[in-house]
Amino acid sequence: DEARAPAASVGAATAKATPAPAAAGKEAICTKCHDENEPTPLLSFYQTKHGVKGDPRTPTCQTCHGESEKHLKGDPNIKGRPATDVVYKKGAFAASDDKVRAGQCLTCHKGTNRTRWEGGQHDANGVACNDCHKVHQPADKVLSKKAQTEVCFTCHKEQRAQSHKISTHPIDAGKVVCSDCHNPHGSAGPKLLKKATVTETCFTCHAEKRGPFLWEHQPVTEDCANCHTPHGSNISPLLKSRAPFLCQECHDGPHNSKTPYGALSGGFQAVPPGSLAVPNENAAGRGCINCHSMVHGSNHPAGALLHR
Amino acid sequence: AYAADESEELAALKRPTNSVEIGVDGVSKKSAKFGEYTGLDKSGAKLIGNFDIRGGNAYDGGGGTTRWSINGRDLGLTSRSAGATISNQGQWTIGIGYDELRHNISDTYQTPLQGVVGGNIFTLPPTFGYVGAQPLAPATVTLDATKLGAFHTVDVGTTRKNTSFNAGYNFNPQLSVQFGYNRLKQSGAKLMGSGTLGTKDVAAGGGTWRAEAISILMNPTNYQTNNIDLALNWIGDKGHLTGSYYSSRFSNGYDRFTWENAYKSGAAVSAPCGFPPCTYQTTTMSTAPNNDFHQLNVSGGYAFSSSTKLAGGISYGRNTQNAAFLTGNLTTVPEIPAAFILPQVSLNGLVVTRHADLKLTHQATKDLALSAGFKLNERDNRSPANIYQYWALNGNGGTVALPAGIDVATNAPYSNKKTELELAGDYRLDKRQSLRLAYVHEKISRWCNGMVLPYSNCVVVPSNSEDRLGLSYRLRTADGVGFNASYTYAARKALFNHDAVTPLAGLNLNVVAVTLPTDVNAQDYPGFAAHIYDSRRQHLLKAAANWQATEKLDLSLTGRYVHDKYDAYLGVQNSRTTGLNLDATYSRAENASYSAYMSWQRSRRDLRSGLSVPANAAANAGPSYAALLASVALNPLSIWSNQLTDNGSAIGIRSKHTGLMNGKLELDGDLSYSFDTTGYATQLQYVSAQCSPTNMTACGALPDIKSRLLTLKLIGSYQLNKSDKLGLGLIHQKLTADDYFYNAYLYGSAPLRIMPTNQQSGSYSANVVAVSYIHTFR
Repeated sequence: DEARAPAASVGAATAKATPAPAAAGKEAICTKCHDENEPTPLLSFYQTKHGVKGDPRTPTCQTCHGESEKHLKGDPNIKGRPATDVVYKKGAFAASDDKVRAGQCLTCHKGTNRTRWEGGQHDANGVACNDCHKVHQPADKVLSKKAQTEVCFTCHKEQRAQSHKISTHPIDAGKVVCSDCHNPHGSAGPKLLKKATVTETCFTCHAEKRGPFLWEHQPVTEDCANCHTPHGSNISPLLKSRAPFLCQECHDGPHNSKTPYGALSGGFQAVPPGSLAVPNENAAGRGCINCHSMVHGSNHPAGALLHR
Repeated sequence: AYAADESEELAALKRPTNSVEIGVDGVSKKSAKFGEYTGLDKSGAKLIGNFDIRGGNAYDGGGGTTRWSINGRDLGLTSRSAGATISNQGQWTIGIGYDELRHNISDTYQTPLQGVVGGNIFTLPPTFGYVGAQPLAPATVTLDATKLGAFHTVDVGTTRKNTSFNAGYNFNPQLSVQFGYNRLKQSGAKLMGSGTLGTKDVAAGGGTWRAEAISILMNPTNYQTNNIDLALNWIGDKGHLTGSYYSSRFSNGYDRFTWENAYKSGAAVSAPCGFPPCTYQTTTMSTAPNNDFHQLNVSGGYAFSSSTKLAGGISYGRNTQNAAFLTGNLTTVPEIPAAFILPQVSLNGLVVTRHADLKLTHQATKDLALSAGFKLNERDNRSPANIYQYWALNGNGGTVALPAGIDVATNAPYSNKKTELELAGDYRLDKRQSLRLAYVHEKISRWCNGMVLPYSNCVVVPSNSEDRLGLSYRLRTADGVGFNASYTYAARKALFNHDAVTPLAGLNLNVVAVTLPTDVNAQDYPGFAAHIYDSRRQHLLKAAANWQATEKLDLSLTGRYVHDKYDAYLGVQNSRTTGLNLDATYSRAENASYSAYMSWQRSRRDLRSGLSVPANAAANAGPSYAALLASVALNPLSIWSNQLTDNGSAIGIRSKHTGLMNGKLELDGDLSYSFDTTGYATQLQYVSAQCSPTNMTACGALPDIKSRLLTLKLIGSYQLNKSDKLGLGLIHQKLTADDYFYNAYLYGSAPLRIMPTNQQSGSYSANVVAVSYIHTFR
C-alpha cells in the first residue's frame, strides 16, 4: 500500500552508523520513562525502519533528539524537565527551528530524492521533514497511497477542493497521489515536479501523447498545463476551459476560430424559443475538437489540421 | 525469546498487526461516473477482500534485519491492487506491485456502429442507410425507425493495469543501486470526436465547411508503456552523486482504426439502400504511434562547508518515433492525392532533450541565507520537415497551382529552450520572523529546424522573457500563531514576429504562392496574440494564518489572489483568481476529534477577439503585417468579447471516534459537499443585429455548467473479541450535473451534422453498504 518510488529507497540513509549494541543501551535511557504508558505510542517506533536494531545504521533517540543532557539530568531551577535538544512537535515545549529539525534528518538522509532539498520550496517555506513524516508511527501516512493526500492537503487546500470536482485524476480513490507527480524533497522541475518539465512528468503515464508527431500542436510540446489543470476541473477532461472558447484563447483567424459563439454552443436547448439559430458542429458539444480530435498531435500524413 | 518476554501491551506497540478482511459491498445503482476509479460502477453485490500481513525477524527486537509484507486491497473490484515486499534492511530490498483501474467509462453511449470495445474496425448495419442531405435550415438530425433501431448502448471504458517491480542493493554504506520497472497496460476504448466527409465528395473539389459531419467513436486504447529506472548512488561525507538511466517505451497495438461513414455512400450517389445492402465510405483515424524515450541523468551535491552547499544535475534524453505512415487511400475516403509521393514513409522523428540545473546555497550569517540557481531545459526537435499534400476533410483546399480541393502544408518540428536564473535571500528578523526576497529571470526561445519555404518561421512569438520579483514574510509566535504573506510581481515580454507564416495556419496556403499579408500572424486577426505567449503582467498575493487557539483547537485561514493582465489589443485581456480556505480542527479528547473546512474559489477570464479582416482592407494592404494592421485599423465593427467565470465551493466535516461502546466501536464520519459553476457569455458590442432573439447565432450567455457532489461516508468497526472485528461501511454519494455539452449529442436535439450518442451528464445517486469480517493477528 505504500506510495512507491520508481525504485526502492534502500540506500536512503547512509553512513554515520551507530553500532546496534550501543544503540540498545542508549535507548534504555529514554524508554525508562517514555514507555508503553506514554500517551503517544512512541514504542511503535520499533515497527518502523528506524527501529530495526540489527541494522548498524539504526539511530537511537538521541541521534535525532540530541544528547539532551539537561533533559536527562533535570534542572532544579525549573518546574519539570527542560526540553530535549531538538523538539520536533510543539507540545509542552516550543518546536525547534525548521532548519534544525530538517538538519537532523538530513545528516543521514542525504542525496537521491533529497539532492535539491536546500533552497527548494518546502525548505524555503519553513517546512521540515517531521511536518509531513511521522517517524514513530508504524504507518507513516505520507508514505501510504490511501492516506498521503490527507497530509499534503493540510497545507495545499486549493488542491483539496479541486480534487472534489467532477473531473479529476483518481486522487480520492488513492490511485494517483501527490508523490506520483511531485517530489516534495526538492526538484529540478517547476512546482516540485519529479521530472524537469511538466510534459516529461505527464508523459510518464500518458506516453501516447509524447510523440514526436508528424503534426505537432505547439502548446502541447511546451506545457500540458497550457490547457489542462491537473488537480481537478469542472470541465472534463481536466480542462481549464472548453472548446471553442479554450481554442479561441490562442486562435483568432484560421477556419472558424474567429467566429464569436454564444448561447448557441449549448445546442437548441440553450437558445430562446422562436430563434431561427442553428447550432453547428463547430461550437456544440466538443466544439472544435469534434473534428480536430487529434489535438495532442497526429502522425497521419493527411493530418495537418489534426483531423485524422 | 525477546518477544516472549513482552507484555501484550508492549507487543502491540512493537509488532505489526496483520489483518485479513472479507465481506460484501452492496451497490444500489449502476453508475459509470460513480464507479469511475472506485470499481463500483455496477449495481449489486461485490466481494470485499483486503489483507495486510507483515513479518520478519527484524520485528523480534534482536539482531534480525529481514522484513516482508504482502497486501491486497479491493480484490473483488476493478480497482484492485496487491503488492509484496521483502528486504534485508541495509542490504537489499525487492518489491512487486499490481494496480488496476477503470476510467473513461460511459454506460449511456449509443452508436449504430458495430464492433467490439477495444477493437479497431467498426461497421454499419447494411440496412442502416445514409443520414442524407444537409440543408442549412434550422433542423436536427432526423433518424427513421430503421436507423434508430440500429443504435445500441455500449459500455465503453478503459482498463489500466499497472505492474511494477523494484529492487535495491547496498554494496556498502556509500554505494547502492536501485532498479525500478513499471508496465502500464491499457485496454478498452475512449470516446473521441471525428469529422468525416459529409454529402459532398472531396475528390470532386469545392466542398464547403458544411460538408463535415461528426461521429463520436470508440478510439481503442490498446496501449503498453514500459518504464525502467536504474540508478547508482554514491554518498560520501561531503558529497553525493546519482547516475541514472530512465527508459520509457510506448507501444500501441493498433496503428489505426476504421469506421463506416453513415453520411456518405461508397457509391457516387447516396441512393436509398437497405435492399440492396448499403455500401458506405470507410474512413480512417490514425492512432498514437509507438515511441521511445531514453534518458541519462547525473545529479549530485557537495557541501563546501556546513553553510555552503552546491546541488544540481544534468540529463540528456532521446525521444524517437518512426512508426510507418498510414498511406492514403487505404480506405475509400481520399486522404493523400494519388499523384503525390510522400517524402518519407515514416517520420524518423527525433527529439533531443537536455537539462541542467545548479543551485548554490549559502548561510552567510546566522540570520541570512542566500541562494542562486540556474536551470536549462531544451527540447530540440530534429525530425525532418517536409511538404505534404493532402485532401482536407471538406475538400476546401488551395486553388493556386494544385487541383482544387488539395491542401499543402509543411510539418513544424517545434523546438524550445527555457533558461531560468533564480536569486533568493532569506533574512531572519528575529527568532520568530523572517523575510524572503526572490528574483527569477526566465527566457524561452522557440524555433523549428529545417523549415521549408515559404514558412519563414514556425512561431509568431520566437521568444519570451519574464522577470519575477517576490517578497514574503513569515511569522511564528510562541503561542501558536503562524502567519505568512507574500507578494510576487511578474512581467513577461514577448518578442513577436508577426510576419511569420506558420505551418498550421496554412489552411489555404499553397507552397508556390503565399498570400500576403493575410497569412501572417498565424492568420490571426491583426492585433491578436495567444495569451500563453503574450506579454503579461502578473500580481500574485498569498496569505496564510494558523492559530492554535487552545491545546484542542486549531484554526487556519489561507487566501490567494492572482491577476494577469495581457498587453495585446486582441486575445485574452486579463484573468483574475481569488481563493479562500478556512479550516478548523477540534480534538475533544484522545479518542474523539472533529475537523471542518470550507474552500471558495472564483476565477474570471476576459477575451476580446476580431471576427474577420474586411476583404477590402486585406486586399489593399501592403506585403507585411504592419501594413495590414494599419489597413484594418482594428475595425470596431468586427470586435467581440467573451467572459469565462468559474466558481467553486467545497465544505467538509469529518469526525473520528475510537473507544465507543465500551471501547469496542471505532467510527469515522466524513461529509463533504462541493458546488462548481462554469459560465460563458459572449457579446458583439457593435453588431447588435446578430444578437436579436430570432438570430442568436453569435452572442448571449450559455447555460451554466454545474456540478454538485454530496458525499457521506461512515466507516466503522466493532470489536467482536480480541482478534476479530466486524467492519461496517455506508457511503451515500449524489452527483447532480447540468452540462450543455450533452445537448449536441441527444436524440431530437443533435444538429444535422452530428450523429447522436444520447450520452447523459453522469448524474447519479448511489448508496453503498458494506459489511465485512476482519481478523487481526500478530
